Parts: sequence; C-alpha cells; structure tokens
Amino acid sequence: MANFIEVRDVVKQYDGHMALNHVSVDVPEGCIYGLLGPNGAGKTSLIRIINLITRPDSGTVTLDGHLIVEDDVRHIGYLPEERGLYKKMKVGDQIVYLARLKGMPKADAQREMLDWLDRFDLSEWRDKKLEALSKGMQQKVQFIATVIHHPKLLIFDEPFSGFDPVNADQLKAEILRLNEQGSTILFSTHNMESVEAVCERISLINHSQVVLEGRVDDIRQQHKKNIIAVDLAPGAKLEANDRLFGLTPPPPGSRETWIQLADGVAVRDAIAWLNEHNQLTGFHEVLPSMHEIFVETVKG
Amino acid sequence: MEKLKLIIAREYMSTVSSKSFIVMTILMPVLMLLIVAVPLAIGYLNDAGSDVEKVAVIDETGRYGQAIKATDLFEFVTLRGDTVGDPRQFYDKASGSLAAVVVIPRDVDSTAQVTVFSDKTVNMSLKSHIARSLSDTITQAHIAAYGVPNLQKMIDEANVDVDVKSVKWSDDGSETESSTEIAMVIGMILAFLTYMFVLMYGAMIMNGVIEEKTNRIVEVIVSSCKPFQLMMGKIIGVALVGLTQLAIWTVVMGVITSVVGAVLGVNLLTMSPSSMSPEAMAAMNEAQGFDMSGVLQAVMGVNYLQIFTCFVLYFIGGYLLYAALFAAFGSAVDQASDASQFTSPIIIIMIVALYAGMACIENPNGPMAVWCSIIPFTSPVVMMVRLPYDVPFWQLALSVVLLFATAAALVWVAARIYRTGILLYGKKTSFKEILRWIK
Repeated sequence: MANFIEVRDVVKQYDGHMALNHVSVDVPEGCIYGLLGPNGAGKTSLIRIINLITRPDSGTVTLDGHLIVEDDVRHIGYLPEERGLYKKMKVGDQIVYLARLKGMPKADAQREMLDWLDRFDLSEWRDKKLEALSKGMQQKVQFIATVIHHPKLLIFDEPFSGFDPVNADQLKAEILRLNEQGSTILFSTHNMESVEAVCERISLINHSQVVLEGRVDDIRQQHKKNIIAVDLAPGAKLEANDRLFGLTPPPPGSRETWIQLADGVAVRDAIAWLNEHNQLTGFHEVLPSMHEIFVETVKG
Repeated sequence: MEKLKLIIAREYMSTVSSKSFIVMTILMPVLMLLIVAVPLAIGYLNDAGSDVEKVAVIDETGRYGQAIKATDLFEFVTLRGDTVGDPRQFYDKASGSLAAVVVIPRDVDSTAQVTVFSDKTVNMSLKSHIARSLSDTITQAHIAAYGVPNLQKMIDEANVDVDVKSVKWSDDGSETESSTEIAMVIGMILAFLTYMFVLMYGAMIMNGVIEEKTNRIVEVIVSSCKPFQLMMGKIIGVALVGLTQLAIWTVVMGVITSVVGAVLGVNLLTMSPSSMSPEAMAAMNEAQGFDMSGVLQAVMGVNYLQIFTCFVLYFIGGYLLYAALFAAFGSAVDQASDASQFTSPIIIIMIVALYAGMACIENPNGPMAVWCSIIPFTSPVVMMVRLPYDVPFWQLALSVVLLFATAAALVWVAARIYRTGILLYGKKTSFKEILRWIK
C-alpha cells in the first residue's frame, strides 16, 4: 500500500523550544492512523504542519506522492481539539461557508449540507444561530464542516472528547464509513481505548520525537510478556510448575488467573502440562493494552 | 482571490445583519436628532406655556419710559414717577398682576443705571431687554444733545470694519479670489472623518480578531486559507461595513432633517426661522460683518477635484495603516481587556496627528506642518489641511508614496504578527515578544 502522507525528518522550533525533533511518519493510504503522545509532546505541532498552518524549519511533507502545496488544503479535513465556530452565524450558512473556503462549489456545498444535517437529525436547526444549539449538536455541526468537502485525508484531534457515549458511537460509525469510502484518517489522541478499537497503525511521540511506530497488533505482540489467562473448573486450584511458568497477579478487580511463561517455554508445552494436571476449561493469551504500552514507553 | 472574496462577504454580511449594527445604525441619527431638536423643543415649550406678564415702569425722567417696547412675554405700563417714594407701593397695589417694577432714576443720564424690583428672581430676558432698549435710546439722546447736525451719520461713517480679501496670483499672472480658509475647513473636516472612521472601525477589526481567536474558529479557518487572507478579508470587510453605515447615516439624517424641518417650519441646519425675510437675512449678515455672497463665491472656488482625490488616497492609506495595527494587536491578546496596552499608543499617535493638523492652520508652511504632512502616521490629517496652500508637488508625491509604502510594510508586519498571535493562547504578550514574531 502506498503512503498517502510521508513526513520526513521534520524539525520545528519555537523560541528555542524544540517542538519536533527530526520526526518522520508514514501514513498508508486508506489507513486509520493514530498519533499518540502525552500533552506537549508535539502532536499538535505536527498536525499543524501537515495542515499547512505552519511551516517546518526543515524536513518535508509529501501528500499522495507530491510535496504538499497550498492547494492541497482542499483534500484535508481538520477537526481541532479546541472546537470553534462562529456563534452568531446560522448553522447552514456556516457549514456552506467553511465548505466553500475549502474550494467546494456553492451548489454542491448547499446540497451536501442538507444531506448531512438530515443524517444527524439537525435539519430543523439549519436557520438557527449556532449559539442556540446544545454543545453536543455544535460538535456535530463541526464534524459536518470537517468532512463535507470529501477530503482524502481527515485529521481528528481528540474527536471523542466532549461527546456522550451515544453520540460518540454515532461519530465513530461515521468515521469508519468515511474510511471505507477511501479516506485516510489521522487520529491524534490519548484515549487509548479508541486507539485499540479503530487504529491500524500508530506513532507514539514523546519529547518531540517518535519513540514507537508500527501496526497496533505488532506493537502489542512485541510488548507482550508471555502471560496467559487460564480458566479452571469451579473450585479447582492451580497446580504450579516452576520449570514451565510462574504465577503473576492479574490487574486489580480481575478474577482471572494469570501465569507467566518461563523463558523459552512454548505456549503449547505449558498448556499441555496444565491440561494434564489441572481441570483446564479455557485459556487466552494476554496482550498488553495500548494504555500499558503508552505508560511504559513514556515513563521509559 | 476566491477565498478572500468569500471572507470579505462573510465579514460584511454577518456584521451588517447583526443586532448591534442595526441598533447602532438606527440609534445614531436619532441621537443626533435629539441633540438638535431637544433644545429647540424646550425653548418652544418654555415660551408657549407662559402668559404675558405686566411690568410697571416708573420713569422719573419722563423721557425714556416709552423706549421699552412690549415683547412676546412682557407688557410695560409706564407711570410718571414724579411722586415716587418707595416703589413697593406700586407693587403692592397691583398685587400679583405685576411681575416687576422698573425704576428709571432722574440721574440716569449720568449714572447709566436703572433698577428692577421684584419678589422673584428677575428674569434674564427681561433684564437684557430693558438694558438694550434704554442703552440705544439714551445713547441717541446724548448724541442729539451735542446739537451737531448729522452727528449720528458721522459716527456711523467713522466706524470702520476692515475686511481682508485674499487674492491669489496664478503663474500666468491672472488674479483669483482665494478660498484657502474654506478649502482648509473642508480638508480638516474630511481628515477628521478619516480619523473617526479609523478609530471606530479599527476597534471593530480588533474585536473581530479577538472574537475569532477566543472562539477558536481561527484554527479551522487557517487550515483552509492563509492567515493573510483572513486578516485582509476582515480589514476590507469592515471598511465596507463602515462605508455602508456612513451612507445610511447620511441618507437618514438628510431625510429626518428635511421632514422635521417641514413639520416645525424651521431649518434645523441653519437654526434660523425659515419665515425670515430676505431683508432681515441681509441685515443680519451685515450686522455680523458676514458677506454671504462672498462665502458662496469662495465655496465655489475650491479645487474639489484635488481635495477629493487626495481625500480618497489618504483615507485608504490611513485606514490600511491603522487597521493593520489594530488587527495585529488583536491577534496578540486573549481578550479585549488586555488590548489597551497596545491600543493606547495608536490612539496617542492619532491625537497628536489631529493637533498637528489644527496647529498647521496657523502656519501651513512651517517646518512642523511640512514634516507632519510627510510622516505617514500624521499625513492623512496634516496634508489634507495644508492642501489649499499650494503644497509643492514633490512633497505631495513623497507624502502619498511614503504613506502607501508604510501601509504596505505595516500590513506585511501585521500579517507576521497575526499568523503567530492567533494560534497562541494563554500568554500575556509584550511588545518585546511581538517584535520577535516579526523576525
């Protein structure tokens, strides 16, 4: 799969503070890509560079095979973390205005605006000023304004913050639908659950540098600690075998039994032994959550 | 370009359709009307409601009492005052029907003093009416007393009012009556208009920038267009809003004054009764040493083409220059209340320019006037005032070129401040920091 976005060796400095230190990120076409990192790590700086809001001090950004230029903003939709729209402007006018700023013809913008308002049950609010809407509705309007011009690249900065669970699910479904239709999606977030649920690949940025990059599945495999959760028949007690595995406590609140394999022991050997000596009813490999990997990597 | 047009259109439409704009546009002419109409109405009510009051005049001289004629408010009853003791007796006799008693003493010719008695504070208009009437009559009596024939005429002829007429020699030797004062007044008014416009709408630009920044809409917009386009869109859009508002005010004020004038039978602009006869008008003008036809001639003689060409140039240049500063400073703060540290220097410069313009009336070709008419921050006012005094072409050209060069440079600088400022939050920005953004 070709890379839709290639960030190469980007450096950005503000007043002597290094915001991005030789950062490179490749986002394959059609991918849902997570940009992770603690606050102040440089995620927003990188997003602003991809968005052409600011220029890097050095390094390049390539979009769809060519160096990114001013006109490419029409192919990008951006939902900033700090949401903002004109409070005194009517909902419909506002969406059409933002779509036209992205280069969409007026008639198309009008038609799409009506479709989208309908999809989000906001049709009756079209001629109301934005300030009359609830916060959740305003967020939806902002989402529509982000995606209305059919961007090939969608950048969401903390998209789910401020949404209630029902709306968050609706939003997630829409994002996945846009992805199926071919949009490449870049998430910037520290909500690790959403990363595991939707992202194929991630880059973890810490202290202005990429410290971890790759497919989510691969990263979890790489960080696994050979832990297996075993289910035993009710009342049965686990018989240990120090040569094959040791006991390790599950996270607080869990009633599972976890074992950690000794070095060089294959899963099948351990399971075979367990099956022989215990009333084993089930087992599954425990992979570290992205949350754990994040915390572990950032704390380093 | 397409995006700039969109931004201008949005800026214009959203402001013009906003409640505050509509209210302000309506309220202003109403306010102006009230300022003019209320004193008139009060004066009218003041006179209309009151009855004619009787005033007794006790004339001990027996010569001057008749000189005080009745007015709309007072009626005078003259009594021979040979037998006067205490004037109070007359007052009491007429109990209530007399408003006051005037005593003209026997020796009024030498003392030039009369007394008004009343149980109330004596009305100002009554006092001045009596003083005027008696002064004229007694003066005439004195002149007559000298017994010189035609003395009054001689005095009138001896009184000289010198009128200074200015004539300008053109290069070909012909003479034209100069109209410098009128031209200068027009220039001053136009320059003042420029500055009022800059102050009012400059603040509107700044508040708009601050609003977009605090709304956080700005990050969405600049992901679609260049910050420069957003800034220029705002500056141009607000200028169009301002021109619209001025146009509406002009039309509305014109309509209101003519309607109200027709209803009240008064021309509000000149504040003189329209029923006044031409002779009275001429007499009034003569009395004030004011030659109406001369003024008209001078008004016609002004070089309007030059004045208005320059006005348009200085208006655009001056507006751009200051608007850029307002936009830049708006981007540097988080809320309007923090902006004063940046706006007060602008306002001080503008006030200096206005005073320099006024001082320039005294000495339009002095070094200060010349310098201030070339320096871009003050030239929109000072040059407009200097224009009628045959400013050398090189000075005018230099001034206009400098103004536009500076405006362009400031727009460029402002754009650099703006694009950094709008994305920076929660920081108190200083002048020093802003200078760093420009680099």
